[in-house]
Amino acid sequence: MSAANNSAIDIKRSLIDAILAGLISLIVFGPIVGVVLDGYSFNLQPTRVAWLVAGVMAGRFLLSLFLQTEKGLSILQGFEGGGSGVHVLAPDYKSRLRWIIPMLIVIAIVFPFFANKYLLTVVILGLIYVLLGLGLNIVVGLAGLLDLGYVAFYAIGAYGLALGYQYLGLGFWTVLPLAAIAAAMAGCILGFPVLRMHGDYLAIVTLGFGEIIRLVLNNWLSFTGGPNGMPVPSPTFMGLEFGRRAKDGGVPFHEFFGIEYNPNLKFLFIYIVLFIVVMAVLYIKHRLTRMPVGRAWEALREDEIACRSMGLNHVLVKLSAFTLGASTAGLAGVFFASYQGFVNPSSFTFFESALILAIVVLGGMGSTVGVVIAAFVLTVAPELLRSFSEYRVLLFGVLMVLMMIWRPRGLIRISRTGVTPRKGVAP
Amino acid sequence: MDGIFLQQLINGLTLGSVYGLIAIGYTMVYGIIGMINFAHGEVYMISAYLAAISLALLAYFGIESFPLLMLGTLIFTVVVTGVYGWTIERIAYKPLRNSTRLAPLISAIGISLILQNYAQISQGARQQGVPTLLEGAWRLEVGSGFVQLTYTKIFILVAAFVGMALLTYIIKFTKLGRMCRATQQDRKMASILGINTDRVISYVFIIGAVMAALAGVLITMNYGTFDFYAGFIIGIKAFTAAVLGGIGSLPGAMLGGIILGISESLFSGLINSDYKDVFSFSLLVMILIFRPQGLLGRPLVAKV
Amino acid sequence: MSQTFYKKGFLALAVATALGVSSYVQADIKIGVAGPMTGANAAFGEQYMKGAQAAADEINAKGGVNGEKIVLVKGDDACEPKQAVAVANRLVDQDKVAGVVGHFCSSSTIPASEVYADAGVIAITPGSTNPQVTERGLSAMFRMCGRDDQQGIVAGDYIVDVLKGKKVVVLHDKDTYGQGLADATKAQLTKRGVTPVLYEGLTRGEKDFSAIVTKIRAAGADVVYFGGLHPEAGPLVRQMREQGLKDVKFMSDDGIVTDELVTTAGGPQYVDGVYMTFGADPRLLPDSKTVVDAFRKAGTEPEGYTLYAYASVQALAAGFTGAKSNKGEDAAKWLKANPVKTVMGEKTWDAKGDLKVSDYVVYQWDKDGKYHQLEKQK
Repeated sequence: MSAANNSAIDIKRSLIDAILAGLISLIVFGPIVGVVLDGYSFNLQPTRVAWLVAGVMAGRFLLSLFLQTEKGLSILQGFEGGGSGVHVLAPDYKSRLRWIIPMLIVIAIVFPFFANKYLLTVVILGLIYVLLGLGLNIVVGLAGLLDLGYVAFYAIGAYGLALGYQYLGLGFWTVLPLAAIAAAMAGCILGFPVLRMHGDYLAIVTLGFGEIIRLVLNNWLSFTGGPNGMPVPSPTFMGLEFGRRAKDGGVPFHEFFGIEYNPNLKFLFIYIVLFIVVMAVLYIKHRLTRMPVGRAWEALREDEIACRSMGLNHVLVKLSAFTLGASTAGLAGVFFASYQGFVNPSSFTFFESALILAIVVLGGMGSTVGVVIAAFVLTVAPELLRSFSEYRVLLFGVLMVLMMIWRPRGLIRISRTGVTPRKGVAP
Repeated sequence: MDGIFLQQLINGLTLGSVYGLIAIGYTMVYGIIGMINFAHGEVYMISAYLAAISLALLAYFGIESFPLLMLGTLIFTVVVTGVYGWTIERIAYKPLRNSTRLAPLISAIGISLILQNYAQISQGARQQGVPTLLEGAWRLEVGSGFVQLTYTKIFILVAAFVGMALLTYIIKFTKLGRMCRATQQDRKMASILGINTDRVISYVFIIGAVMAALAGVLITMNYGTFDFYAGFIIGIKAFTAAVLGGIGSLPGAMLGGIILGISESLFSGLINSDYKDVFSFSLLVMILIFRPQGLLGRPLVAKV
Repeated sequence: MSQTFYKKGFLALAVATALGVSSYVQADIKIGVAGPMTGANAAFGEQYMKGAQAAADEINAKGGVNGEKIVLVKGDDACEPKQAVAVANRLVDQDKVAGVVGHFCSSSTIPASEVYADAGVIAITPGSTNPQVTERGLSAMFRMCGRDDQQGIVAGDYIVDVLKGKKVVVLHDKDTYGQGLADATKAQLTKRGVTPVLYEGLTRGEKDFSAIVTKIRAAGADVVYFGGLHPEAGPLVRQMREQGLKDVKFMSDDGIVTDELVTTAGGPQYVDGVYMTFGADPRLLPDSKTVVDAFRKAGTEPEGYTLYAYASVQALAAGFTGAKSNKGEDAAKWLKANPVKTVMGEKTWDAKGDLKVSDYVVYQWDKDGKYHQLEKQK
């Protein structure tokens, strides 16, 4: 399929394509859409099948026609090409994206003045996933370690707040650093034995670890409340609470400052703190990728054997990625718990890990801006799709597949500015 | 109480052979293109619907004898599920053949969401089921206790064994099997030698789907009930089994399945069923720490 | 253009404007229906929606609430706490609902109710029976159903008094609802001097319970109590019968109240004799006759929580009408002070928002796969 051998459009071929597609869709959709089980008997629904098959045939026909045109051919070739590795830019290249980050910051600062609570909560959820995506991006995107149990560290952070409050009376601010440390330690403990493993075995072990954490949280009724979950305290600001009435005789925030009570205050507060944390993590990650350890992660991802023969301590490098990623998830967990006001194990299923992984892959492995965009796309999309009610998750799945086919390397490809040797230095 | 112990062993064996059948789909796909096909559990779920639909249709046409029902259902389910396997591969994985290793993983997660909700929307959210086809059980007195095995379970064991044997024969002795093995060992070389590797990959997806369909028919017969969510848990378990046995290895998938089934059954029978999944995952982690390539997997040779 | 035509056109325009204005004045009152519309428990969400819609239609046909029509807003939480919070915020802020009927899973209702309480929106759950739903001092959270602890007492007493259970096995599905219920039943059994010989959880979504069944056999149990839902209860009872436990009595809860139990158990022969606790069947009440007939005429059976959702909408409407206000807090105050006549009979609420009279009774399934209320045993 190197070049268009003739510009004439072959309608017959398109028709054959369409008929084949129709036949296959008849086999695929026929039984499941056409025969609806009802107890042990069934109802026939032939019209639905007819519509579906007709839709598929028409779609296939148009697609086949389109792909025969010049434009279609060029798109087709665009799919097949696409080299690998890191895209290197010219030394003095200034990314067009450099304006985007300040713009996003401005939007983020102005945003709460216009948002209602629903929008605010959706954006908070989006930011939590940005944090998770950034953390997993270190592990998967930079260090190339496939982690399918990332949600475990997230759970450790969330439960850290709930348990810390329940048993030790700790509040949001104390737990925030503690949870990051606890998650990092868990990452370290898990990482040590499993980092010997190669690629996909690591994936299944981390998956197992994620499930173990969730199951223990679910089963250890006397300690974690089991499936009933645990209440989580609202965050406080200098000891001031955001509720309408403060608990244990304190003064709530709005009375202290003499403003009217506003139920959004708590979320506004979470939003602000979360935003600052996300910015800090973004900055740290940005610096890390330019530090030796960041370079080592990427080198290890590209070729482990070469790195080891160059004298890199691969266990230490992998472990640092794992630990840093885990601590970010711990932070995200604390925010999630205080956002929801309640934690229970059903928030930490495997699907959650898969979603975070999707954010990283979709964002373009290793790309920071990509991860931020993908996190918002994947958390806001289900909310936007709410009006489709029962088709919501179906469309979400379709979106995931289509995005992957459209941009298999993610929305934004990682690229790095090249360096020119300084003058006077021998090559 | 040895009757009880034996019973638990047999419980585990039937459960495990079912895990094994589904694990084959994971292991073959992984072996050939190095991809974890997360949608495989959902393919099993679709096949369960197909089995129930076919049983309902056959019953409507007045077929009542068990062998005929079984044969009709098997053929129908296997063929349609095979087409599903092929279509999924064609739509969601083939365009991603040459991209990063994780891209097909994500599109597999997307496919599994699609299949779940597709089944829910078209068939409704209700629990589905099939009537009991084979009634009765076989009872063996052991000392003071007894072991009871339904005819359905015996059928499952036999069918799973036959299915495995057939597959092993195909992979070992037929031309198709040789092509599969060649593609698995070195895709580039195989295509240089004139094997249409794209087609072989499609075949592998079809074979995986067919084994899932066999499992779908058997499980549906045994437990009698399923819903659109049924693929998830069993998919994760089967994947665990595949890794336990050494991903990429066919006998490993079966062995992993049986070990997983028996350990779950014994642990929940003798100790506590609350923690049986914790136990099986811990077992997996332990085995992988000491034998990183799984039980029957070939150790990975690093190529420079 | 003739003069008359012009006049007519102007008149039409004026009428249209007037109509438009009047329909604007008569705004709708929005009620959210939140529950699992997708996911493993979507069947219950369907029941909610069906019941709520029928109630809204009926109330609208009679003139609506305070002169406004009820409009239902569907909210899907898929029985996930995270989604429940998101959908609750959406219902409150985006859709500006006055009241909510929902949610289903207690683990969703609990976090969502905090959102409603913050916003001063009244919520009434047709199906969340966990005590914690109303135990947290929220002023506008109501229940249309009983509580697990009440249900557990009825089940425990029945096992001791009628089934004469000596060796009782208590199982649950490790979820808020099932486990809460199993705990309540276990507590009542222990109080009555019967300590369960086995207390364990199984995993939701699994179908193979043969290991647990063998364990039940090894324990020599005579009664098995299961706290959970029908997708697990069906295969569990079937596998018990298949492993030769023909005489062991099986009892469960209101999570299995659906004809699907027969499907999940693999045929009516397996559910024969299964006991369960459930609120007195609303379909048998004289108050519900016309509504039930209307449902059946439309070709659907108002099973499970359909009528509960129906009654919840009625209660909300009564609260708003009675308080002559669409404010949640006023309606909540009114509901706590006045009885409401619903499709499920006259209901009164206590200060917590629980029903004053719980009416759990024991049912038994027969060999045709139907369930019947058993006579109260004294």
